Amino acid sequence: MSASLEQPPQATTALRLHRQLDAIWATGPGLQRFAAVNHSVLGMRMMITSFLFFAIAGVLGMLVRVQLATPHSTFMDPETYNQVFTMHGSMMLFLFAIPMVESFAVYLTPKILGTRDFAFPRLTAYGYWCYVLGATILTVSLLARVAPNGGWFMYTPLSSNAYSPGLNADVWLLGVTFVEISALSLAIEIIVSVLKMRAPGMSLDKMPIFGWYILVTALMMIVAFPPLILGSILLEVERAFGLAFFDPTRGGDALLWQHLFWLFGHPDVYIIFLPMAAVLSTIVPVFARRPLIGYRAIVVAIIALAFLSFGIWVHHMFTVGIPHLALAFFSAGSAIVAVPTALQVFAWLATLAHGRPRWDLPMLYVFGFFFVFVCGGLTGVMLAIVPFDWQAHDTYFVVAHMHYVVAGALAFPMLAAFYYWLPLLTGRTAVQWLSKLAFWLVFLGFNLTFFMMHLTGLMGMPRRIYTYRGDEGWNWLNLLSSVGSFVMTIGFGLVVIDVLIQLRHGRRVRRDPWGATTFEWAMPIPPKPYNFASIPHVGPETDKVAQGRLALSLARGEGYLGFARNGWQETLGVHMTSGEPEQLIVLPQPTYLPLWTALVTGGAVLALLFKLYALAVVAALVIVGLFLFSAQRSGHARDYGALPIGRGLSVPPHTEVAGAPPWLALICALVADGTLFTSLIFGTFYLWIAAPNWPASAAPTPSWTLAIGTIAGLAVAVFAARGSLRAIAGGGRPQGWIGLALVALVAAIAAVVAMIGGVTPHPTEHALGSTAAALLTYVAIHAGIGIVFLLSNLLRIAGGYVSPRRLLDPRLSRLWLDYTLATGLIALALVLALPSLAGMLGARA
Amino acid sequence: MKSGTVPSRRLWWLGAGFVVWCSGLVMLYALHAIGCAFAWPGGGLRTTLVVVLLVHLLVVGWMWRNFGKAGPDPLFSPTGNFLHVAIFWVTIAAFVSTLLTLGPPLLLSICI
Repeated sequence: MSASLEQPPQATTALRLHRQLDAIWATGPGLQRFAAVNHSVLGMRMMITSFLFFAIAGVLGMLVRVQLATPHSTFMDPETYNQVFTMHGSMMLFLFAIPMVESFAVYLTPKILGTRDFAFPRLTAYGYWCYVLGATILTVSLLARVAPNGGWFMYTPLSSNAYSPGLNADVWLLGVTFVEISALSLAIEIIVSVLKMRAPGMSLDKMPIFGWYILVTALMMIVAFPPLILGSILLEVERAFGLAFFDPTRGGDALLWQHLFWLFGHPDVYIIFLPMAAVLSTIVPVFARRPLIGYRAIVVAIIALAFLSFGIWVHHMFTVGIPHLALAFFSAGSAIVAVPTALQVFAWLATLAHGRPRWDLPMLYVFGFFFVFVCGGLTGVMLAIVPFDWQAHDTYFVVAHMHYVVAGALAFPMLAAFYYWLPLLTGRTAVQWLSKLAFWLVFLGFNLTFFMMHLTGLMGMPRRIYTYRGDEGWNWLNLLSSVGSFVMTIGFGLVVIDVLIQLRHGRRVRRDPWGATTFEWAMPIPPKPYNFASIPHVGPETDKVAQGRLALSLARGEGYLGFARNGWQETLGVHMTSGEPEQLIVLPQPTYLPLWTALVTGGAVLALLFKLYALAVVAALVIVGLFLFSAQRSGHARDYGALPIGRGLSVPPHTEVAGAPPWLALICALVADGTLFTSLIFGTFYLWIAAPNWPASAAPTPSWTLAIGTIAGLAVAVFAARGSLRAIAGGGRPQGWIGLALVALVAAIAAVVAMIGGVTPHPTEHALGSTAAALLTYVAIHAGIGIVFLLSNLLRIAGGYVSPRRLLDPRLSRLWLDYTLATGLIALALVLALPSLAGMLGARA
Repeated sequence: MKSGTVPSRRLWWLGAGFVVWCSGLVMLYALHAIGCAFAWPGGGLRTTLVVVLLVHLLVVGWMWRNFGKAGPDPLFSPTGNFLHVAIFWVTIAAFVSTLLTLGPPLLLSICI
């Protein structure tokens, strides 16, 4: 590649600079839109897509309310009702709430942090397309009347083959897992970007509070989603191949599903809440016209909240027969989690109390949030108390609580955010009277709908019933709930009309109409694909500058990278804590690869759904090929050394530094992977301790020879990976080392596959065999991925993308193989030792 | 990296206190389940649980004392000071959470 090493001369005018950057960063017209990788484009698409699913799920919710408005309703038959309420919950949670908060993060985070895009634009695009395709599969299943029908949490044994033999449960398990690939990929993207791609000078103590919230949320996501992904895989494997994880007659336990589900499900409430709290912590100080009170305390609170939210998953399982002492851990945790939550509410109130509050449209929704969320929080504390939960469990009281904390805590800040940031997109403001009318309809409708459910719940109305007798005293409350839901829907309809009117006819506003201090207001309106013509520096010179003045300075190219070079999409990487610039990140340009990869991934999911396993394997191989192909086009095929970035500074490209974004991304991926592995170990121990029909009648006889062979193969691969790294760093030829690692991995896979073939008891006969097979398969898959890493190394070395200064590829391979060896040792030790361990502790009581 | 820049690895300490809390919760929950499943004597099981709790309290307490005594590194910038204060208070929150969520339940009946 021929490329200039010098800083090009500054463009003489802002307009010329804009034209140069726009030519590099813009997404093409027509079909080229499918190749978009830009965070603004994808964030906006994700927002619109998730709102579409909100509308569909909302219609389903209204159908539920029509059915329950009167007793003995024949509006829907029971099977249709089951599909409708299951899809309402599943769509709201998986296709609306999580993608919606992610879309806010995708669209806003780079702008608020003063950078041009996310670290892995192609991953953003892949995540988006996976979301669209997974959501489409779920939606089509509803039209085909084979939608999931076992409740949004798919409890076993109802969702097991014995009671749900059709496709319905498979659609949920595969569709939701597909969507979660999207959520995980975006979470990794967000973590790396927040930590490594802020505006230079934006040290962690100067980072807008929005960044802290989004960072903590993304960290929660990479730990919260793997347990559900594992649960979904295990249940799908049980349904498809007859393994025994959740079948109590064969040593499985239906409650294992509940544990895995709620290990995801409870933190998920906070994963939805925290980004909305980020919105509030951004908006409230702007309208209070003073800085946020308690910045440090809020950072501490959200970290505490993140951890505590994981430690209370069992509070959804108070009625399943767990001993009281253990329940008390989770009851106390559920109560104490209210403290860091309340701290944030008090910080917002204190900010308003000590400021000079200005009452404008977004604040109406902030008020709505306060009212609804405090109500939901208080009922949450009630449900945290075990004796109360025993009374209210599985009643409409829980439905009311859930809608107050999840729906209310999402909907009101979301609408506040819409009204706050829409002028950024449109340069116009809302139609005030229509917006206020919409708010009051949503607010009154919401409370009318869901407050009544507290009462029906306390009067004993169970969840998920499709009709009722009419003599229980619930009639008028249910009717009011249904009327409320229609009022709320009219309110949301007005919001949509209001936004559409604003797009065309809203009053034009100046830049930064609210007087905010965050960087998204220091850019052109609407934002350009490159966000900032030059990247701001956070320091005394920008601290007290109005965003309008700063925007003009940045547009003239007076910040970093205020020029176009080599047609590269350039942005800056910074040190994680100090924000000092340390690398020049060159981002990939629009490509259809994410779309193709997602389409093939969708094909693999459909093949699994229709039991076409050979086709699924072929699709998986094609996906691997596409990933390898896309990796060949990343980075630089030559060394550059330090390149000028403006303001008198020079930094090397990201390919030539140790802390490049892919390194941190792989660490995040391994954290997620490690959580999945830990969940598998938890499941193994859980079945051993709690499941009926243990021990198994057939004694396990694992082969020590094969186990030692597997470990030896993995260890040789690790050793060879180090050899290859040393060879490249010393300017030598690493192919021999890589070849040795490949052979060792193939040998390890052969040994572990032989072990899986000889597992006793057979995986379909008893859960002991099933868990052993799952652990060994985990090792085999990771060794297989290790082969993909090494093949990629060989291809990229041949292409000139690796050199003594560009060592990222072999370092990534080494890290992956280290992880594979560590988890392989644990997995094999467990397979070998669990039978003896069980014997040492004696018989279960 | 300039001198005075807070090393990135210091960020891990933001979660360290609560990792100990997680470890305490998991160990107590698991030991209690194993003890009840395998009919360990009630007194011995309770003593084991108390010892596990105390060990975790000691670890978080040591971290609290350590951060309290050390103070922010004078070579570090305001970022270092900010991180020190945040780590200090997260550790206190973890200690209080360990004490309040894991302590009182140990007074309850053991395997009912």
